[in-house]
Amino acid sequence: MSLDYVKFTPGFGKFMPKEYRDMVEHGPFGKKVSVSQVGTFKEILEEHPMCAGCAMTLFIRLAMVAFPNPEDTITVGTAGCGRLAISQAAVPFVYGNYGDQNGVASGLTRGLRLRFGDRPKDVVVMAGDGGMADIGFAQTLHSWFRKEKFTTIMLDNEVYGNTGGQESGMTNRNQVLKMAPLGKKFEKMDMLGMAKVSGCAYVATVVPNNPRRVESVIKKAVLVAREIGPSYIQAYTSCNIEYAIPTDKVMEDAKTVETDRYKFTEYITDEAKEYLSQLYGYKEYLPKPAAAVEKQ
Amino acid sequence: MYLVANIETEICAATSCKLCTQYCPEANTILYDNEAGQDKGFKYGAAYVAVDRCKGCAQCVWVCDNMAKHNAIKMEMIDQIGDTALTENVTYGEKTSSAVLANPVRGQG
Repeated sequence: MSLDYVKFTPGFGKFMPKEYRDMVEHGPFGKKVSVSQVGTFKEILEEHPMCAGCAMTLFIRLAMVAFPNPEDTITVGTAGCGRLAISQAAVPFVYGNYGDQNGVASGLTRGLRLRFGDRPKDVVVMAGDGGMADIGFAQTLHSWFRKEKFTTIMLDNEVYGNTGGQESGMTNRNQVLKMAPLGKKFEKMDMLGMAKVSGCAYVATVVPNNPRRVESVIKKAVLVAREIGPSYIQAYTSCNIEYAIPTDKVMEDAKTVETDRYKFTEYITDEAKEYLSQLYGYKEYLPKPAAAVEKQ
Repeated sequence: MYLVANIETEICAATSCKLCTQYCPEANTILYDNEAGQDKGFKYGAAYVAVDRCKGCAQCVWVCDNMAKHNAIKMEMIDQIGDTALTENVTYGEKTSSAVLANPVRGQG
């Protein structure tokens, strides 16, 4: 877990595939890269078998670009569409049994802190709405209540997309799906509310039709999870297969849903604000001068 | 045959938007060459597609037409495009990437 693990064994460099050589020589490891630079460096995400035009893929790609220290990051996932791409990246990936991802990440975070002490090692959980809000619900909430210091990202496609279109806890009320022909009878679960109640230090909703915002949100969430406490991001990543969205209209749908019911929200505790402004120079979280406070 | 995205260099090099590189769901597929437009006297570089990675979803077409409003990207049949970039011909520089263009169909045969 350092820059060494992305280097060649001496003498073997020329035998490596081109993708591997590009990753070592032109990857983001040890550099600061941003979403505006994509296309000019080798991204850590590789080819994967996810559907063409999938918004979840786009979100995962942007998230991988946004990791503050990819060489010190471990991703944890579980069954679902997302892991098909997350596992195809040049960062270590741990596969938790279905629903176990936050439990696995808790142990992993604690172990890494024992082993590496103060050197930050980021653990990022990325799983779908089924793995997090339904089957992994208990482990997710318990990890938050225990204030485990890692980032949890929900790839919310509002359906079990991998198994034929069953309703999940995050599906909207009255939504008809292939395996929910009468429509869902209950409201969408308020995971954001639960994240705040259970003590997450940073909670945000985001839609991938704004790449820079995705980048900013992921960076903040990972940084907050290093020192302050758990962070949670809920991302709308539509399933163009189960919701029958033409692939070239996926971003149009994302835009519509964002204005309709998935507006960008951000919740951050005062402690996290202070931490981000002091250590990482986030000026928007600096305490306002007395004059500005009076004007309000 | 199948469809892949094709970016018109002349239109792309007249702007510096780079939106398609950020909205493509596939990694390392729409790449950016800072020097692409220089020979033809354009101010900016241009994006290009590594066609062996393109899954043909046309999201970049929507983004270029509706968000950037440049209409520089079209979906075209792979055997109709001519020379294009392939992953094996892409070279990453310090702040840019470039590709030696080749015919993907002829290359496969």
